Amino acid sequence: MTTRSRPRPETAVDDMPAQRAGDPAVVATDVPVVVQTEEPPARSAASTVGAFGGRVLRQYSLVFLLVASFVLYSTWGKTSSVFLTGDSLRVMVAGQAVIGVLTLGILVTMVAGNFDLSVGNIAGLSQIMTATLYAKHGWGLWPGIIAGIVIGGFVGGINGVLVTVLRVDPFIITLGTASAILGFIDWYTKDQSIVNGIPAGITNFGRDNFLGVPDIVWVLALVALVIYYLLEHTPYGRNLHAIGSNRAAARLLGIRVERSIAIAFVINGIFAGIAGVLMLARAGAGNPQIPPTLALTALAGAFLGAASFKVGRLNVPGTIVALLFLAVNITGLQYAGVANWINEMFTGLSLIFAIALAAVLSKERTVKKTRKTA
Amino acid sequence: MPAVMAGPRTALAVRGLSKTYAGHLALDSLFLQIRTGEIHALLGGNGSGKSTTIKILAGVVPADPGGEIVLGGEDPVGVHDWTPAKAHAAGLRFVHQQPAVFPELSIAENLALGAEFPRGAGGRVDWRALNARTAELLERYEIHASPKTPLAALRAADRCRVAIVRALQDRDDADSGVLVLDEPTAALPAAEVEHLLDALRGYAEAGQTILYVSHRLDEVLSVADRVTVLRDGRKVDTVEADGLREADLIEMIVGRPLDRVFPAPPVETTEDAAMTIRGLRGGPLHGIDLTLRKGEVLGIAGLLGSGRSELLRMLFGAYAVDGGSVTLDGEDYEPTSPQAAMKAGVAYVPEDRQADALLCGESVRHNLTAGQEASYFRKFLYRHRLERSDAHRSIGDFLIRVVSDTQPVETLSGGNQQKVVMARWLRRRPKVLLLDEPTQGVDVGARAEIYQLIRRATEQGTSVILVVSEPEELAHASDRVAVLRGGRITTVVERPIDAHKLTELMNAAPPNVGEASP
Repeated sequence: MTTRSRPRPETAVDDMPAQRAGDPAVVATDVPVVVQTEEPPARSAASTVGAFGGRVLRQYSLVFLLVASFVLYSTWGKTSSVFLTGDSLRVMVAGQAVIGVLTLGILVTMVAGNFDLSVGNIAGLSQIMTATLYAKHGWGLWPGIIAGIVIGGFVGGINGVLVTVLRVDPFIITLGTASAILGFIDWYTKDQSIVNGIPAGITNFGRDNFLGVPDIVWVLALVALVIYYLLEHTPYGRNLHAIGSNRAAARLLGIRVERSIAIAFVINGIFAGIAGVLMLARAGAGNPQIPPTLALTALAGAFLGAASFKVGRLNVPGTIVALLFLAVNITGLQYAGVANWINEMFTGLSLIFAIALAAVLSKERTVKKTRKTA
Repeated sequence: MPAVMAGPRTALAVRGLSKTYAGHLALDSLFLQIRTGEIHALLGGNGSGKSTTIKILAGVVPADPGGEIVLGGEDPVGVHDWTPAKAHAAGLRFVHQQPAVFPELSIAENLALGAEFPRGAGGRVDWRALNARTAELLERYEIHASPKTPLAALRAADRCRVAIVRALQDRDDADSGVLVLDEPTAALPAAEVEHLLDALRGYAEAGQTILYVSHRLDEVLSVADRVTVLRDGRKVDTVEADGLREADLIEMIVGRPLDRVFPAPPVETTEDAAMTIRGLRGGPLHGIDLTLRKGEVLGIAGLLGSGRSELLRMLFGAYAVDGGSVTLDGEDYEPTSPQAAMKAGVAYVPEDRQADALLCGESVRHNLTAGQEASYFRKFLYRHRLERSDAHRSIGDFLIRVVSDTQPVETLSGGNQQKVVMARWLRRRPKVLLLDEPTQGVDVGARAEIYQLIRRATEQGTSVILVVSEPEELAHASDRVAVLRGGRITTVVERPIDAHKLTELMNAAPPNVGEASP
């Protein structure tokens, strides 16, 4: 229904459908409606409520799914006995710490429209190098940790320089570095695990709890806060968003595009290094076999995260929910007796689902865009 | 309203077309009758409903039930049954505002995708036949390129022409059906526009019916037989184009007289130079000498490809300079990057809003403050509240119509998007503002507001260099106009500026064609 007084005032009335598109914001914010020289567009209360409902549903659909799966595994006969126990939950969340740090790190490059498929292997490299420094070179606890993180940042820097100087698709570059890292690890370790000589300090850290929560989950929480601050509350993060949105425009706004992207890869590498140290802490041994799906899982988490909270935009809270969603379902299904293959299967399908969802959302956006030209 | 009769001379009639977008009536019971062989112009501002009408005709947007579409002498079809396939079968051919052409593919491939690939033995693509057919079409439409040229290698104007050729390629002998052109000349320079309009007139004489949508009133007046004006989703009137004046059309579109669209010329501009350019060379420019006075709007008249955009980009440090000197406020000014230009107080609004200015997916607020984020970051805290109140002030100051400053910028209309881009720079109070086609794809009403904003900026001491393709608009909006041709400034025209004279000066053959550039 539209009840508009006729005739319209004598101004060129800009495009009402566009205003409709921004409609949910009316409900959400207390920001004054800025409409000059014309009466505000008439709206039916019903449609406003409908739009609000739709928005909430979309924004929090993954949260609902997370809660639903949580309830399912807590009550389902096959899983309820083990799922909802402190130990089980601790293991589940701790199991997400490494991948979580990787995912949050990869957000930094993805926000600027880049990919890093080498994060998993960077983490693996940091892990094995730190283990080697401890076991074979007798490094102390903290120097080893710092070395692992620095190695991550260094490899990230190589990625960044290659991507920005050669101006090659980061997809290709990081696929290349990922493979090169694997080769290096194989050569360097001769495929031998490093079991002895890992300091107790680091292995304890991988096992201990603080206030009932595993230490490494605290690290994950801290990393989430840091990335959230970086991406949403610093000029640098905002510049990354601008670059990801429109690189040419960012350049004409005086943003140093290449430098920002290169730095994003360094930051990404640093967090991959932290993930590597966490890997070592959890496993208690340096393992030359790097799980091949780490980077893909991180991508799945980031994409899935973009489907909630700030829909269509990569964001930290959404990513956390996505990670928990993956963890709850994979753990739940494993408790239900499904074999280990469910891990990779579920992650892969979630990635495809997330990308499909992103495609649908961006299509909706284009529809809104075309309406605008009415 | 009387029902429209679908007589034998009617190529296309629509009856009672309405479209509601989530409660808002974008199109209100439109009746439209288009005669066979006429060029019928559809005019209106953004949001007037003309694009909606075209999308409904194309079958890509479903209309509200109840309306009818009648083609030729055929039976009326209810709009709920209308699909892209039916529209195509009925002989409707569309060239949209942003034509769906494929930049990576060759011209021949682009044309073949609009029709079909000629096949040789075994179903393989017969490239020779395709290229021959394409070459023929390119020659007929005077596009100077080889069929194998990738579309991306063409300038925007030619890409647009390929899209038109693609739509027309299979109907060159048809006198049924309707060719629908949605802003086909939005990116064309004046000389080519005329060329295209000639071609369209030829088609109309051969019996082709054309529905022509454009913002450019002079074009419409020169090419159309009849004009339908829409405002706020309703038809204002359908009138014969004969004897119609531009001012009449503007009044119908905007609902207010012309003298209120362009602001009065400023009281005076000083003789002090804000910027002096001496012997500036680079790209297509062979030595530009130009002085920008303080507080003036200096127009640059030049055809597409004359180097007008490159000139602005050089002054913003975004295009390589080969030589020459520039001073800004009496001091040497050699920007090597946009950062340096911005620091010196120069601002630049690029020609292509979508590609070079808007941060789509980001909020209006972020778009307004883009590039200035550092000023909101103090003591490791981002001052979101300060940024928000600044954004609100800018939204009010620069007449931007939004629902909220957090809405994504791409949900605004073209005019409001452009005002966001303008505001982004004007809020910094630049010394020199470089504007490249600031009113492209903007309706008359918003255009008036953009010129108001420019005038207000000059009153506050900003000096403006303005590039606009349309001579009429340039003449109205500028204090002086410099004519750029052959890589040099050939003349500077003072007020009163005559649009026809500008057109002549822009198009006149360069006097020293053989002259080598120093």
